[in-house]
Amino acid sequence: MSRLQADHLFKVFGRRPDEAVGKLNGGIGRDELRADGTTAAVIDASFTVEPGQIFVVMGLSGSGKSTLLRMLNGLLEPTAGRVLFDGQDLTALSPRELRAVRANKISMVFQHFALFPHRSVLENAAYGLEVQGVSRSERERRAAEALELCGLAGWEKSWPDELSGGMQQRVGLARALATDADLLLMDESFSALDPLIRRDMQDQLLELQKRLKKTIVFITHDLNEAMRLGDSIAVMRDGRIVQLGTAEDILVRPANDYVASFIQDVDRTRVLTAEAVMTAPLRPGAGDCGCESVAPGTPVAEVCAVSARVPHPVAVKDDRGTLVGVVPQSRLIGFIGDEQRPPTACDRPGPQTEKEVAHA
Amino acid sequence: MPRLTLGDWVDHGVDWLQSHLSWLFDAISAVVTGLYDAIDAVLSAPEPLLFAGILAVVAWWLRGLAAGLLAFAGFALIDSVALWDEAMSTLSLVLVATLVTLVVAVPLGVWASRSKTVSAVVRPVLDFMQTMPAMVYLIPGIIFFGVGVVPGIIATIVFALPPGVRMTELGIRQVDGELVEAAEAFGTTPRNTLLRVQLPLALPTIMAGINQVIMLGLSMVVIAGMVGGGGLGGAVYRAIGNVDIGLGFEAGVSIVVLAMYLDRITGALGRQVSPLGRRALAKARSLTRRPQLWNHRPQPVVAVVGVAVLALVAGGMGVLGGAPAAGTKGADDVGHGKKISLGYIPWDEGIASTFLWKEVLERRGYRVDVQQYEAGALYTGMAGGQIDVQTDAWLPVTHATYWKKYQNKLEDLGSWYGPTSLELSVPSYMKDVDSLDDLKGKGGQFKNRVVGIEPSAGMMGILKDKVLKEYGLEGEYKVIDGSTPGMLAELKRAYAKKEPVVVTLWSPHWAYSTYDLKKLKDPKGTWGKGDGVHTLARKGFSAEHPKVGAWLKDFTLSEEQLTGLEAKIQQTGKGKEQQAVRAWLQENPGLVDKMAPL
Repeated sequence: MSRLQADHLFKVFGRRPDEAVGKLNGGIGRDELRADGTTAAVIDASFTVEPGQIFVVMGLSGSGKSTLLRMLNGLLEPTAGRVLFDGQDLTALSPRELRAVRANKISMVFQHFALFPHRSVLENAAYGLEVQGVSRSERERRAAEALELCGLAGWEKSWPDELSGGMQQRVGLARALATDADLLLMDESFSALDPLIRRDMQDQLLELQKRLKKTIVFITHDLNEAMRLGDSIAVMRDGRIVQLGTAEDILVRPANDYVASFIQDVDRTRVLTAEAVMTAPLRPGAGDCGCESVAPGTPVAEVCAVSARVPHPVAVKDDRGTLVGVVPQSRLIGFIGDEQRPPTACDRPGPQTEKEVAHA
Repeated sequence: MPRLTLGDWVDHGVDWLQSHLSWLFDAISAVVTGLYDAIDAVLSAPEPLLFAGILAVVAWWLRGLAAGLLAFAGFALIDSVALWDEAMSTLSLVLVATLVTLVVAVPLGVWASRSKTVSAVVRPVLDFMQTMPAMVYLIPGIIFFGVGVVPGIIATIVFALPPGVRMTELGIRQVDGELVEAAEAFGTTPRNTLLRVQLPLALPTIMAGINQVIMLGLSMVVIAGMVGGGGLGGAVYRAIGNVDIGLGFEAGVSIVVLAMYLDRITGALGRQVSPLGRRALAKARSLTRRPQLWNHRPQPVVAVVGVAVLALVAGGMGVLGGAPAAGTKGADDVGHGKKISLGYIPWDEGIASTFLWKEVLERRGYRVDVQQYEAGALYTGMAGGQIDVQTDAWLPVTHATYWKKYQNKLEDLGSWYGPTSLELSVPSYMKDVDSLDDLKGKGGQFKNRVVGIEPSAGMMGILKDKVLKEYGLEGEYKVIDGSTPGMLAELKRAYAKKEPVVVTLWSPHWAYSTYDLKKLKDPKGTWGKGDGVHTLARKGFSAEHPKVGAWLKDFTLSEEQLTGLEAKIQQTGKGKEQQAVRAWLQENPGLVDKMAPL
C-alpha cells in the first residue's frame, strides 16, 4: 500500500471556491478564474508516494507547490479531493485528530528554518516531542540523539542565532526527525543555503535516508536538486502537475515544451546513468576482460571518464557481476551532443585509421 | 445643511445610561476605588525614605547600581519638596489604571491580532479614545462615577488603552508567520501556539506598549487632578490656578521623576521577563568583559532580601509609629466624627474660606475632607452628592450656567461676602485709559485683544453680549477665550514688559495686590450688580446636619478679614493652608465661637 496518496486535490482561494472547482473541471482556465478574483493555487493534483521514497515536487514560485505541500499535512484544507495517509483520509478528520496526526506521524522542515529564537538548540529539537507530551528527560534524550544524527552533537546548549544557516537547518531537520514521524515534508528546505552547503545537506539527507528509510515529500524550484534527490518527481506549472515520473523519464521524455525548456540547463551527465545510455552487447564475450566496468546506476559523467581509459565499449555490470549492457563511446558522445540518430557511413569508404590521417 | 442634533442624542444617551445603568457604574466605581485605596494604603504606609530605599533596590536589581542611586535621589527629592503623599497617590492612580488597562488591552490586542474583523472594528474606537479631548468625557465621567479618583482613573484608562491594544496586536502580528506555521505543523493547539510561541516572541513589543500605557497614564494625572483625583496632578492644577511657577515646577519635576523611574523599570523588566530580551542581555554582557561598579547588579536573592528587610522595617515602624491621633473631646465635640466633604475651586477666597471651615469644623469634632476641583467638576460632584459643601459659588452671574443646570439638586446657604465686581482692568501705567469708553479707538495699541478666561464663565458671556456692544467696541476688539491661568500669565508677562494689555478680572482677586492695576469704570452699568460669594450645599445637607447648615448660613467675612486671611495663607506657603488658618485664628480670638456657636 502506498504511504501517501493525493487524490484529485484542488485548492482555490477567494470567493465561492466550490463553484470554481466545478468550472475548472469543466475546462475553464486559471486565468479566466483570476479575472473573477479567485485564485486556483492547485488544480487536480493526483499522485502516490511509496514508503521509503523521496517524492520531489518541482516548480517555479507561484506554481502551487507549497500550497500542495500544506494540504498534505492539513495546514491548508483542500477545496476538493482527498489526502490519504496510510489509508486514512486526512480531509475527513476533526481539527483535534488532525493535530494528533501532525504531532505523531508527519513532520515538516521549513525554507527559512523556522527555529524558535527563544529556545535553545536542544529545546528546538525537542519541540515536537514536547507537543506530544513526552516527559522532559525522555524528550531531551531523543532530541540529543536526533541532533547527533544530524551532526550537531555538542551544540545542544547553543542558541539558534549562534549557528550558521546550514547548522540551523540541521536543527530544523533534527526537530523533524526527533518525533519519529513516518512522513517528512520538506518545503524548499535547502533553497536558502549557499550552493556548497546545499550540496552538503543534499548528501547528508541521502545518507540519512539510506539509514532511516523515511517517506519524504520534498519541494524545490531547483531541477538539479530534484534530480539528485527524487526517486519520483512531479513537475508543476500554474497549479497543475504537468509531468510525473523519474528523473530519467523527465530528462529523456519531457512531457511538453515547458518541461523541455526546463531541463535545458540540467547537467544530464550527472543525472542520467549508464542504464540510460547502454545498449545490448554486440560482440560476444564483452565484459569478460579484466577492464574497468561500471554499475547501472553510475552517472554518465563517470562513464565518460571510464570510457576514456578502456579501449572498448564500457561494460555495465549489476551488483552480482552479471553483464547487463555496454556503452560504446559513440553513444556517450551522441548523448552529450543530444543526437538521437545513429551515425551515418562515410562517403569515402576505405580503411581510415588515425595513423593514415596523420600521414596525410 | 440640516442641523444634525448629534449633541442632543449624546445628551439623551448619557441621561439614559445614568438612569438605567447606574448599578453598573456604581460597581465599576466600587472596584476601582477599592483597588486604588488598597494600593495607596500600601504605598503610603512606609516612611518615605524607606520606601524610596525599596524602590532603589528594585532599580539596582533591574538596572544596576547607578540606576539604584539615581532612583533614591529622585524619590528623596520628591520627599524633600513635601510632595511625597501626592506622589504616592499619583503612583497608585497610575498603577490601578495600568492594571485595568492591561487586563483589557492585552486580551483585546490578542483578539484583534487573530481576527481582521475585530481589528477593523477596534481601530476607529481606539482612534476615538486617543484623540477625543479628555475633558469631553471627563464631565460625563463625573456624572457616572462621581468626582474623585475614579473618573480620573477611567479617563487615564481611556487615554492609555489604545497603545496597549495596538502594540499587543502589532507584536503578535509581527511574529514570523513561518514560526507560527512550524508550531502548527507539529500539532500545537492554537492556545499553545499563542502561549508558547506568539506571546513570548511578541513580549518585547507588548512591554513597549505597557511602557507607553504607563507614560500616557502619567501624562493624564494633571487632567485627573482637575476632577478631584488629587495627587501631583492636583498640585499642578493648584499651581497653574495661582500662577505659582515654583510649586508647578516642583510638582512637575516630581511627575518626571515618577515617569522616568517607571519607564526605566518597565523597560528593564521587559528585558528580564522576555526570553528574547534575556538572550540579548546575555549577548551584550558576554561582549563587555569587565564588570563595572556602576553596572553592578545584585543577585535576585540579595535584591529580594533587601526589599523584604526594608519592607519589614517599614511595616514595623508603621505599627509602632502609627499611634492614633488624639481626637477632640468634651463639650466642643458636636460632630462625633461625622464626615463632611468640602470642595473648592483653587481661587484664593475659595481656598481661604474652605480651610477656615475645615479648621472650625474639625474643632467641633467633624471629620472634614477637603478636595480641590475644576468648577464644572465641582458642581457635577455636588449634584451627584459626593461633595457636601462649597464656599465659593459666585452667584448670580459668574456661575450662572452651573447654577441653572443643577439648582434643584443644590441648596443655597446664602452669601458670605460681597458684593464682588466684574470688570475689565488695565495696568495703571496705561495713563489715558480709565473707563470702558476710553478703549474705543485704541484697539491697535492693545493688538485688538481683550484677554479673557474660560468661555464657560458667566462674565465672558456678559462681556461679549453686552459690554462690548454697549461701548461700541465690537469689531475693534476680539475676546480671547482661554483660561484663568492663561489670562494671569499673559497679564504677568505684559506687566513685566510694560506692554498695553486689557484683561477680564474680578474683585476680590490677589492680582490687585500683586500688580498695580486699574479697574475700568463702567458708566453705563453694563456689568450689572456684583456677585455675592455664596455657600452651596448638596440638597438635603442642612436636614442631615442642621447645626452645620445653620453655621454656614450665618457665615460672613469682611473684606479686611478675607484679605488678611488670604495674605496669611500666601505668607505661610503652599500645602500649609491649615497651619495658616490656625495662626490667623489666634490673631482673631473668638471667631470660631462666632462662626460655630455651640
